[in-house]
Amino acid sequence: QTACNFIKSNVDSSSIDSLFYAAQSIRVLSGCEVAISNETRELLLGAVSEDSSVTQIFHAVGALSGFGLPLASQEALSALTARLSKEESVLATIQALETASYLSQQADLSGIVEEIEDLVARLDDLGGVYLQFEEGIETTALFIAAAYKLSDHVGTEPAIKEDQIIQLMNAIFSKKNFETLSEAFSVACAAGSLSQNRYHLPVIIVPDGPAAVSHHQPVLRLQVTDVMSQPLTQASVKLDYAKSASTKATVLQQTAFALSGDVFELNFMNVKPASGYYDFSISVDGDKRFIANKVELKVKVSTEVGITSVDLSTVDKDQSIAPKTTRVAYPAKAKGSFTADSHQNFALSFQLIDVNSGAELIPHQTFVRLHNQKTGQEVVFVAEPDSKNVYKFELDTSERKTEFDSASGTYTLYLIIGDATLENPILWNVADVVIKFPEEDAPSTVQSKNLFVPKPEIQHLFREPEKRPPTVVSNTFTALILSPLLLLLILWIKIGANISNFSFAPSTIVFHMGHAAMLGLMYVYWTQLNMFQTLKYLAILGGVTFLAGNRMLAQKAVKR
Amino acid sequence: AAGSVGSVVRRFLVEYGSGTPSRLKVLDAYLLYVLLTGALQFGYCLGVGTFPFNSFLSGFISAIGSFILGVCLRIQINTQNKGEFQGISPERAFADFLFANTILHLVVIKFVG
Repeated sequence: QTACNFIKSNVDSSSIDSLFYAAQSIRVLSGCEVAISNETRELLLGAVSEDSSVTQIFHAVGALSGFGLPLASQEALSALTARLSKEESVLATIQALETASYLSQQADLSGIVEEIEDLVARLDDLGGVYLQFEEGIETTALFIAAAYKLSDHVGTEPAIKEDQIIQLMNAIFSKKNFETLSEAFSVACAAGSLSQNRYHLPVIIVPDGPAAVSHHQPVLRLQVTDVMSQPLTQASVKLDYAKSASTKATVLQQTAFALSGDVFELNFMNVKPASGYYDFSISVDGDKRFIANKVELKVKVSTEVGITSVDLSTVDKDQSIAPKTTRVAYPAKAKGSFTADSHQNFALSFQLIDVNSGAELIPHQTFVRLHNQKTGQEVVFVAEPDSKNVYKFELDTSERKTEFDSASGTYTLYLIIGDATLENPILWNVADVVIKFPEEDAPSTVQSKNLFVPKPEIQHLFREPEKRPPTVVSNTFTALILSPLLLLLILWIKIGANISNFSFAPSTIVFHMGHAAMLGLMYVYWTQLNMFQTLKYLAILGGVTFLAGNRMLAQKAVKR
Repeated sequence: AAGSVGSVVRRFLVEYGSGTPSRLKVLDAYLLYVLLTGALQFGYCLGVGTFPFNSFLSGFISAIGSFILGVCLRIQINTQNKGEFQGISPERAFADFLFANTILHLVVIKFVG
């Protein structure tokens, strides 16, 4: 009633959208009436034309229908169809579907119904798992609600295939938290329409608790519901087949589940399955509308393990003495201790059986753990089954001394049995074993390997400079290399080279200065400059020297 | 045999001394200087090691290059070869020699490090 009063006081008679929401709300609230004036009615009727947007037509038609006012369906339909050909967005098409569901069935709505198929073609397939519009989940959910509403109204099955519906559901139900109220509303609308339409009813099948059975819990329970989590108690749930995951042998087929309250049950342990994993194929029937009603489920069958025929023996290496065997029963500990040294090996054998069926078991984890009582070292071995499924473990001190670091002493022997399908993993202190390693290999101190102390620091080795000759040698060589120059000067004097022909013409002077400058530039280049700077200076000096030299040599040639 | 080698050498020296213009002798002295410098560098490298290799290479190439350019100059200004170098006067040869040496030593200085 409060809601009704709120609506009555807040409805804006000049806004078509406000009228639409008011009309839809009072349809749901029983006993709520809103008076509509003639002007309002004229406004709404006037909005139903091809000049208004699809949203306006949708809201006007919805308001007229909600208030129970008469509406000319055929004209509304032609206005809608005309407008839809101009507005091609997905949202407009969805709103057209909703509008058509308010129109009378006398009008030919098949054109609008075909839009459902066109919209399905516009969905994006994401990895074969999700199907949604690129506009998002809200648009996809609105589409589902509108499509089923129109299909129910018109009486035609919507053109959406089963795997498309499954993918659409994956998309719209993928979020657990919604950002906007409108998105949450659209998903709720879609869920509602998927649980209550005339054509397609998706079925949700989930195990009640973990999908595991055992002797203590022999019944597999399934929750079979619709999209709104309402149990489908009228359905008939059947096991098509149950196959062992490892051997692929069928252990059960064509068995019905029994309804117990809201869940469906099947006592799987009745067929006495061996422990392990099974692939179940389950189908739900009873209503022609059911879709997504066949599922595959992996079910675990657990059991309890028992250890039998546990024999501990010391076997003489020379085989001269017969092995001494002691039998131990789980969970007792063997009395006395056993010795393994250079003369004799220690051996252990046992069998593992399924306590309930008596069959032999090969679990994943069968370990023999030896724990040094004094130093805390532990060494773990794997016991392997032979061809008759009897587990054997033998300790030869000479073969195994590296694992033990040759630390002699008394070790406690544990047997560890475990597996995913075992309900009772076992850690059993079987016996004490005295292991003697040859004396010369014993380490002086047995250090516990602490892995988390700082390691020795690595010193970085810088690149060694190359070996050079001593400075004396290289200085001597430098002096030596100047000696040919001395020889040259002596030879030149002897031959009679002179500069008597030196003419003091300007070009000559410029040439010699320029050339000297170039040689000086070479020295500066060696000490300071880079190639680019040098080339720059060289170009200038070279140019000057060249011109002067040219003139000088020409004069010389003329003189000659 | 030894005697003939010795007499050939002596004869060569006499002919060289008298038959070669002094200009060429000056050039020859220069060539000898360059040769000795190069040989000394090589010997040092063999004896002491190639570090730093780039310096050795640049010095050695400088010696070799200068020697080659000197030989070219000698060939070009030798009056006996005038027929083969029609368009190239001795002045031109000398200018070429200077230019080529400049480029050579530009690279050598770059490389000596």
